[in-house]
Amino acid sequence: MTSQFQAMLDGLTRLRGVRGALVVSLEDGLVVAESVMGGLKGGALAAIGATLAGRAVELSGRGGFGRPRFLHLQGDDGALLVAPGHDLALVALAGRDVPIGMLRLEMLRTAERLG
Amino acid sequence: MRAVEPWVVAPLRAFVAESSARLALLMTSSGQVVAQHGFVGALDLMSVAALGAGIVASSSELAVTVGWEPFRVVAHQGKEQAHFLAWFDTPRGRWIALVVFGSETKLGLVRVFFEQLVEDLAAAAPPEEEPRREVLAADFERELNASLRALFGR
Amino acid sequence: MSLVNFTTREITCKIVYYGPGRSGKTTNLQYIYGRVPEARRGRMVSLATQTDRTLFFDFLPIDLGVISGFTTRFQLYTVPGQVYYNATRKLVLQGADGVVFVADSQARRLEDNLESLQNLQANLLGQGVDVRNFPVVLQYNKQDLPADLILTHADLDDALNFRNYRSFPGDALRGAGVFETLKGISELVLKRLAAGGAGAA
Ligand SMILES: Nc1nc2c(ncn2[C@@H]2O[C@H](COP(=O)(O)OP(=O)(O)O)[C@@H](O)[C@H]2O)c(=O)[nH]1
Ligand SMILES: [Mg+2]
Repeated sequence: MTSQFQAMLDGLTRLRGVRGALVVSLEDGLVVAESVMGGLKGGALAAIGATLAGRAVELSGRGGFGRPRFLHLQGDDGALLVAPGHDLALVALAGRDVPIGMLRLEMLRTAERLG
Repeated sequence: MRAVEPWVVAPLRAFVAESSARLALLMTSSGQVVAQHGFVGALDLMSVAALGAGIVASSSELAVTVGWEPFRVVAHQGKEQAHFLAWFDTPRGRWIALVVFGSETKLGLVRVFFEQLVEDLAAAAPPEEEPRREVLAADFERELNASLRALFGR
Repeated sequence: MSLVNFTTREITCKIVYYGPGRSGKTTNLQYIYGRVPEARRGRMVSLATQTDRTLFFDFLPIDLGVISGFTTRFQLYTVPGQVYYNATRKLVLQGADGVVFVADSQARRLEDNLESLQNLQANLLGQGVDVRNFPVVLQYNKQDLPADLILTHADLDDALNFRNYRSFPGDALRGAGVFETLKGISELVLKRLAAGGAGAA
């Protein structure tokens, strides 16, 4: 199971500019599998990604446009991307130089396989 | 907020705010409350601390007994609330944090900010004072006897 | 280890009731719980089996009031007595400021008392406690039982009290000696605190 996740994550981190990718449990915000560059804190990324996804699910429900499929939080130095599934979410942290369209596509595809 | 030592206040307050926890309790490893912040309500904090310290002690010991590293974190997930219990080392010895939180936050976040709390406490602790002597007056025995007698209604 | 707070002027001490299984440790706490006014005690927590045998500990916080300008609290704990519970006994003993050793006065329990007393010494030593300076008092409980079943105070002192601790006869069920015992250990613990001594590690 975990090694299968690991293969998915390696597919993402192979892309230029991706500094870390994680499979995260949405319920508690803990890391299920991670592939992050040294110096990055996987636990913190997981918690932030899951919290963000949780809020988004709540708000988009109220907004009446269904479950969010993708979150893109763009900062000055990079982006935090979350693709929420049902129990798990895919979280990635990318630098400014990332081919963002490609990463988005790859994450959505991978998230489908998370279930 | 109640705290035995004032330097604990700022880090603990920041932790509760950032993690969105409902209640955080710091205690010594033998279960004596050092500081508390958050909603206490009708909780009997002394029992909570004694039981929390018991859980941490017994689960660490269980880990060691079966040959693992002692667990640092014990988490209980209830329907409405969850508990996060963890021991950590401070300049004042080993302490335990007991955090009560609900659906406003997640275990992962509590854990992340807990690591921060441990660092903040280590940084905030002033050097230990010379132990103050003369804690008790010379005639404390008379007062103790009177207290105990009153306590037992004698 | 006792917690002394100079800012709020509070002292909290941990006292552990130790001894062989069924010697009357829990009964001591129950008696104290029943006698102390509600405002001066917390809830009594008992982690026990369904047949009321102590599984982990009993816990009773009591408020002694102000002594030498310090609000003074005692946290009373008991340990499970049976030999096979040593791991949990060690956990409860951690950080104790003083121990009340409750012996069962019945002649047939003498061996159990000795074994438990030796176990106490071993566990204290294991926690780096200087046993010679550590506050301990003895209670010879169940002195109410028929004379042919029990040993006298003097006999028990001869058999158990090789360290010359203060010792008290007890009938915890009816409360005789419970108060004196608590007073005895309180004095020792607070005296040691005044002298700047520390509790168990
Ligand atoms: N006769 C008599 N029985 C006692 C006395 N103290 C306790 N007991 C009884 O001894 C049994 C064991 O007591 P308990 O407090 O549970 O022992 P523990 O295992 O040391 O906690 C119970 O049935 C008590 O009622 C006493 O002073 N006299
Ligand atoms: Mg008992």
